[in-house]
Amino acid sequence: MIDVCIIGSGAGASPIAYELSNAGFSVVVLEKGEYFTEEDFNKDELAVSRRDMFTPPLWEQKHIINEYEADGSFIRYDGEEYGWSFWNGSLVGGSSNLMSGYFHRMKPKDFKLRSTYGDIKGANVVDWVIDYEELEPYYDKVEKVIGVSGKVVQHKFQEKRSSKDFPYPELLTNGVTKWFDSACFALGYEAIPTPRAILSQNALGRNGCYYSNFCGSYGCASGAKGSARASLLQKCKAKIITDAFVYRLESDGQKITKAFYYTKHGFAHRVEAKIFVLAAQAIESSRLLLNSKSRFFPNGLANSSGELGKNLIFSAGGSGSGRFVFQKLTKEQQKELMEPGVFFNRSLQGWYEYEQDGKRYKGGTIDFLFEHQNIISRVNKELYDEEGKLLWGEALAKKIHSRITTSRVLTFEVFNDWLPTDKCSVNVDENTKDKYGVPVGVINLFGHPHDLEVGEYLAQKAVDVLQKMGAVEISYDISSSPPPNLVAGGCRFGNDPKSFVLDKNCKAHDLQNLYVTDASFMPTGGSVPYTWTIYANSFRVADILKGVLNK
Amino acid sequence: MTPFLNRRKFLQYGFLSTAVLVMDGCELKNILTSKDTIGQVQYDLFPKAKELGINTQVYMHIILHHSRISKEDKTFIKNGVKWLNEEARKMYKKIYIKLSKSQRQKVLHSIAATQWGESWLYTMLTYNFEAMLGDPIYRANINKAGWKWLQFEGGLPAPKKAFL
Repeated sequence: MIDVCIIGSGAGASPIAYELSNAGFSVVVLEKGEYFTEEDFNKDELAVSRRDMFTPPLWEQKHIINEYEADGSFIRYDGEEYGWSFWNGSLVGGSSNLMSGYFHRMKPKDFKLRSTYGDIKGANVVDWVIDYEELEPYYDKVEKVIGVSGKVVQHKFQEKRSSKDFPYPELLTNGVTKWFDSACFALGYEAIPTPRAILSQNALGRNGCYYSNFCGSYGCASGAKGSARASLLQKCKAKIITDAFVYRLESDGQKITKAFYYTKHGFAHRVEAKIFVLAAQAIESSRLLLNSKSRFFPNGLANSSGELGKNLIFSAGGSGSGRFVFQKLTKEQQKELMEPGVFFNRSLQGWYEYEQDGKRYKGGTIDFLFEHQNIISRVNKELYDEEGKLLWGEALAKKIHSRITTSRVLTFEVFNDWLPTDKCSVNVDENTKDKYGVPVGVINLFGHPHDLEVGEYLAQKAVDVLQKMGAVEISYDISSSPPPNLVAGGCRFGNDPKSFVLDKNCKAHDLQNLYVTDASFMPTGGSVPYTWTIYANSFRVADILKGVLNK
Repeated sequence: MTPFLNRRKFLQYGFLSTAVLVMDGCELKNILTSKDTIGQVQYDLFPKAKELGINTQVYMHIILHHSRISKEDKTFIKNGVKWLNEEARKMYKKIYIKLSKSQRQKVLHSIAATQWGESWLYTMLTYNFEAMLGDPIYRANINKAGWKWLQFEGGLPAPKKAFL
């Protein structure tokens, strides 16, 4: 019998595969998608961004989405019918292949949200059962093993670090960052170079960044991006089985005994192991457990608490942008603006906590980046005139040419806490099946009004900077639309087996050998993208598992 | 408005039932192929593409036959041709491609004022720009003419084989 069977191969799965297989344990990784490497990745916008080659077609695999209002009413959306996808990357390494790699650590107070800021009506906020100090060595490990580039600068909310600086220097940046830094200085805001999970030089057996101009959404052809595949799976002896959709976990009431999976042609297989690690990304992990009901667990595997699938969270906030137009710039500035390839890489965290009207708020992070260079999507944004009328012909051609060749858009993304609530959760729809004949996941969505309030506050700060920089057409959208790639919760960890699915070690309270190590364990998400924390926690659990297997 | 929201709202407000009513009233005979009509519409919407030598027809052939395009999307493209011709006949007693340039523009403006028409024209334009600005491997953006027009450099590495 093998030692460890891991379901999923992304950021929550791969540190365990890497650590345990390198420690001599036998590890099998089951991945639904295909195995793409640096040789396979390219910058084909039609394939990657328009036809979503790395995610399943919605007519084969979809979700049902219930969008809730505060009064409890909801609108049901069939994901296929509405083109609403929550898939992020079905390939070896998962969506970490396609991330932009904006890496921020959670801050000490993020681990103690409830005890620091108190209860918020309608929200199920709890403190984490570990603190920042416990996770810090693993954040540090991620910097070194996955590879994080950047420059540490002291600022109001800089968290404590065991290493003085990042192991790799900052990536090259566009000249417009100077305008940004000057604007922030004038406003009294602290500009921070954004740490990135991208190697700025050859290291770790991987090539450094070659500034392709097409980073987020695309696989990295040099290996510079710290995907779970490039940085971990390709460097370990874990056996990776692709085309393996795990549809059921079987237990004897105490332990998981088998994982069953289908290939795309519907052939069923099974894997037996001493330990099972589930990391299929938050929604799918809850779905698998809910679909693994048995006489021992009639409400879903590891669900004696009734908490499985509950308190799903996303990253709250939204995004905005401003446009820089040639008419307002010198020739030199125009040249700087249009320089392709190099990054923008600036963040603001000056309002990670703030006071307003005598009340203390947990705030968040604002990342700035140039609009994605995908040319088709940029052009498609120009199809309407200012009155919202569809354009065509010469008028459209003129508009497109002018906008694309004589202006550039700087965007920002706001990250703040998506408060966990009763209305935001995962369950399954027994009557709606995917191509494998397995009940699809139901995503119940609700954004707490507090999230919007905080997002709005932060967006205004970003607007200040864009205005100061001289941008035009500044706009933003703070909403409770969930970013599908920033999802967590559903199997929260905590000490009380009656209230939490997982224990402190991310082991299911109900079972001796089931661990869940994607973002499902997170009771709150911090006000940063999740990937660094998922990696760090997975390295932490890997150490725990080494101890378990060595017993 | 993003295509996603456009489509989502469009469907939410009962587009499908409207479509059935329109179809029920459709009595077209001797229609030329959808492909020809789509080609004419795309030219009328964005003549610059032809000027640049973009082969939108070869791209639309890919779209109408590829497994990554849903049946619903393919049906919508084809139904749009029928509805367009119905509107053309209603206005001028002729199918779309038999009309003069100015008549065709009037038909386009007429359907653009309807929900289905705006959505269909938007769809035709987006496929036009996919053809024009997609990687040259798809045989539509010949000699990177679409990219050159917008001073755009495609990302590297370029695909070695077509996904679509």
